[in-house]
Amino acid sequence: MRKILAVIKREYLQTVKTKGFIIGTILGPVLMSLFLIVPILMSVVSVAEQEKIGVIDASGKIFAELDKKMEYKLKDGSRRYLLEEYRLTGDIPQLKEALNEKVLAKELSAYVFLPADISEGGEVEYVSEHVSDFDKTNNIRNALNSIIIGKRLKAEGLDPSKVGQLMRRVSLSTKKVSKRGVEEDTGGTFIISYFLVLVLYMTLIIYGQAVMRGVIEEKSSRVVEIVLSSIRPFQLMAGKIIGIGAVGLTQYTIWGLFGIGFTTYGGALIADAFPAAASFKIPSIPAYIFIYFVVFFILGYFLFSTLFAAIGSMVNTEKEAQQFMTPVIMMLVIPLLLILFIMRSPNSSLSVILSMIPFFTPTLMLLRVCILLPPFIQVGGSIVLMALTTLLMIWLTAKIYRVGLLMYGKRPRIREIIKWMRYK
Amino acid sequence: MNALEIDKVTKNFGDFCAVKDLSFNIPKGSVYGLLGPNGAGKTTTIRMVMNIIIPDKGTINVLGRKMDEEMKKRVGYLPEDRGLYPKMKIGEMLLFFSELKGVKGAEARSRIDYWLGRFDLVDWKLKKAEELSKGMQQKVQFIATVIHQPELIILDEPFAGLDPVNTKLLKDFMLEMKDKGVTIIFSTHRMEQVEMICDNICLINKGEKVLEGNLNRIKKEYGKNTIVLDYEGEAKYIKDFAEIENIDDYGRFMEVKLKEGGDPQELLQVLTGKVRINKFEVKEPTLNAIFIDKVGEQNEKNSGGN
Repeated sequence: MRKILAVIKREYLQTVKTKGFIIGTILGPVLMSLFLIVPILMSVVSVAEQEKIGVIDASGKIFAELDKKMEYKLKDGSRRYLLEEYRLTGDIPQLKEALNEKVLAKELSAYVFLPADISEGGEVEYVSEHVSDFDKTNNIRNALNSIIIGKRLKAEGLDPSKVGQLMRRVSLSTKKVSKRGVEEDTGGTFIISYFLVLVLYMTLIIYGQAVMRGVIEEKSSRVVEIVLSSIRPFQLMAGKIIGIGAVGLTQYTIWGLFGIGFTTYGGALIADAFPAAASFKIPSIPAYIFIYFVVFFILGYFLFSTLFAAIGSMVNTEKEAQQFMTPVIMMLVIPLLLILFIMRSPNSSLSVILSMIPFFTPTLMLLRVCILLPPFIQVGGSIVLMALTTLLMIWLTAKIYRVGLLMYGKRPRIREIIKWMRYK
Repeated sequence: MNALEIDKVTKNFGDFCAVKDLSFNIPKGSVYGLLGPNGAGKTTTIRMVMNIIIPDKGTINVLGRKMDEEMKKRVGYLPEDRGLYPKMKIGEMLLFFSELKGVKGAEARSRIDYWLGRFDLVDWKLKKAEELSKGMQQKVQFIATVIHQPELIILDEPFAGLDPVNTKLLKDFMLEMKDKGVTIIFSTHRMEQVEMICDNICLINKGEKVLEGNLNRIKKEYGKNTIVLDYEGEAKYIKDFAEIENIDDYGRFMEVKLKEGGDPQELLQVLTGKVRINKFEVKEPTLNAIFIDKVGEQNEKNSGGN
């Protein structure tokens, strides 16, 4: 046991000292906060400038009203859109051609062509150098819709404002009921679940591969047999996995502390710096979800890192490891593809079955826990199943690992690996 | 008392038999050579002694009992495939190796400083292994083998890849350990080193024991029927001399083994006047000759039997 401790200590200290760990630990929270802060800043700090939009009004009756409807203001109080009417003088294609030129010369940011039969369903054309400014096209579409529909209603003798009242849509507010009571949830659960599952997926791969790389390094530097003169292969594998796993938990702790600090004080800081964003609420993660997150990381890490350790022992270089790694990575990627399905129906029998498959459990069961805490029998059952699978995997991979560590040269075939498992 | 007892040990890898019914004992305090050509089963045998791989059959006793994790603290092992953690500092790495052997704290640190001083590596203590030359890395590996003051040292091809300076260093080091009463086992296929250092040898080929015992006794048993000849000229006709069993001709130097009862004087007469003789010595065979003789004999027997 003391010897395993020596291995754990070595793995931990050596990994914590690597640049990868230091950068990842610092960069994680920085990126995380950037993802949260940047969209807020973007929404507050508007980058809009005044734009000129040309209008060809073939019907001749719309421009004045459109100009009034498009009275959006910039921050400094000036108009955001300056509408310029181009009267139909002669040929329509010719006029369009002239306006195309103006758009290309950047005299106009865009122009709209309103056909004569616009009220009868004629199609409006919007022409610009790029059509990805959805804000602008939405403004124009909304303005035209309200004008044209208003005209149609008036033509039928109806009062547009009255109809608008009658046609008011029903509003739907989404609320989540749980043991803690009823609370509003406008998609925060979705974002948090997605975020946590992605972090779990990434850390499982990163730390699993760190184990594999450690094994390959021991093999390729030929230090492994010196170590084996003191301890059994299984002790080395256990020490390595525990040591690197402890590094992962350290990283989570640092990230977690940062996250608590951010959710506690971050909102106030943002509100101070940008009063316009004061209404923004940083989603918080309930403690039980965090506990499950750590539990599923530990279980998933043991399951996958034993596989990664076995792969490392079979090969001589990281390049050779690629082929063996693919199926393992697949088992982590497949659940990601199922996220949306599970989110839509977290309690369907297919979701339950999928989340009980040990290799999928860490990500999918965590997802279900985030969305809607499943019955304890399911969560507990999945944990027991995973633990049993992990023990089975440790038993199998330890046999491969033991032989593989001392095998240099050619990459083994599956048949040879099965033969290794039968060696005494 | 024996430091190591190997009794009827067999190890198969699939269909391949690496070691077959091997038995030998190593007396305490001796320097023991485990000889054999490449692929003879030396490394497999040593790994079984170290409990790194498990024999299919037979028993191995180290220092009077079965090898286990406690026992590993009393044994030092330098494997054939050896290296260091490239990114680890020398001092930290030796401390790690010491801790694995149960030597900790101040005791480990003072031993590390002692050995680094002896091997001129003090300035490298805080350097990473990858910054050291190959020769320096080998010295660190020697230190790792003895840092826990083992009673038994097992060296697998210790001289492979060593330059003359480190070869001498290792040889002196082994003799120093021997003087302290440490039992040393080392495997090699380089005979001259064995002749210089070993008391006892075991020669194995294709996983089977071919020859075992005290080196001097083995040589005596082979008798004084070997002639070392240093000559100039054409000496091919010497093969016609009926009493010759085996010739090892190097062009200017020749080792001739006579048949039992063959008289060296007759050979000298055959040669006289035909080649220029610089040296004619009747002596015990070299271990190299015995090695080639025995291994060749066994290989012939095996292929004849098939």
